[in-house]
Amino acid sequence: MEPRLSSDLLRGHTDTIVLAALMNDDRYGLEIYNRILARTGEQYEMKVDTLYSSYKRLEKNGYITSYWGDETQGARRKYYHITDRGRELYRQNLLDWEFTQKILSNLLKEDK
Amino acid sequence: MNIQKHIDTLFSDYQESPALKDFKEELVGHLDERIKSLTKKGMDEKSAFEKAISELGDISVIADEIGKKKRQEVFSEMYMKTRNYMSAKRSALYALCGLVLGLAVLIPLITWFASGIHVSTVAAIVPFGMTAILGFVFLWLTQETASHEAMSRKRALWYVLAAGLILFGVLAAFITYFGVEFAALDVKSHGYDTANTSIMGAIAVLMVFSLPGIALGIFLILTEKERSKPWVIKQREEYMKYANEQFDGPAKAQKFGLICGALWIAAMAGFVLLTMLVGIKFSWLAIVAALVVQMIIMAMLTKSK
Repeated sequence: MEPRLSSDLLRGHTDTIVLAALMNDDRYGLEIYNRILARTGEQYEMKVDTLYSSYKRLEKNGYITSYWGDETQGARRKYYHITDRGRELYRQNLLDWEFTQKILSNLLKEDK
Repeated sequence: MNIQKHIDTLFSDYQESPALKDFKEELVGHLDERIKSLTKKGMDEKSAFEKAISELGDISVIADEIGKKKRQEVFSEMYMKTRNYMSAKRSALYALCGLVLGLAVLIPLITWFASGIHVSTVAAIVPFGMTAILGFVFLWLTQETASHEAMSRKRALWYVLAAGLILFGVLAAFITYFGVEFAALDVKSHGYDTANTSIMGAIAVLMVFSLPGIALGIFLILTEKERSKPWVIKQREEYMKYANEQFDGPAKAQKFGLICGALWIAAMAGFVLLTMLVGIKFSWLAIVAALVVQMIIMAMLTKSK
């Protein structure tokens, strides 16, 4: 049997995935999208609407900010920048996930 | 394939706003670059465009969050909308009633020009006019609208009976009045005073038919059940809440209602009295005065902000 990627499970972590991408660099929308494609071996095609809803939601709640880049050629790019609140949320989400993961693995184990 | 055009079509249902314009530009940039990277990998332009578009998902969800829908339903339109509840059969019945109403106007007119006799003219109104008006009453009461449920047919028929009695009483009173007057030419020669008998007869007829009709009507209105749809009730509650806030509690709102009722009765009485005393030229000022006083009372009772 081949293992498959659970899209639902990943979608539940969209905000954290976006925050993780922004932790060290400001990035624009498609860059984050490409990063997800690369890191999942192109196995998981996160829909653009899911991703951009996440940007808008995070920005509205003050976890990220955005600004237009000054591209000299081609279309302008909108960059996202993580705020201190965003960093805090990321760390908390990561902790929650690691904790949950441990419990979940425990729950999913069959009795010996 | 034009990316900008495609995005514009996707959001054509949404009102243009700075936030939406911003988002559209971001998306166009995204698609543009995505298509370029796909073609670089060897995909032809058309399938690259299609792939990039298919990756979007339901992008209008975001527009819902940042923009307003263009086609917002106007409140009044929602309130009075009957289109969805109008069957072909009902529309035909409405049209038929309209036709009969037209006859109800035409036939008395012809009668009037042909005979010049009041009593015949009024009598000619009775069959068609009453059928049309009662038909409309029945159709409207049993009509489901966006704001109201339809009334049961049985109850609507009781209303029709009440309206019919009142209407018939009024028309019969006219017929009696004109009829007696018509006969009076003959009677006068016998030495009776007919001026009073015609009025008395008319009032008697009016009382016999219209009074039971009015009583039935009042009984029906007082025992009326709520037929408003849930959203109307909710809207009304919200309005009441708003009014209560404005008036600093229901007691003051009630007080305002009472004072206004009294004010308008006084205004009407003043209007009638002034019309009789000095004529219509100045009597309308009573209404204006009442309006002004109402404003002042409202300003006094509402909370100052």
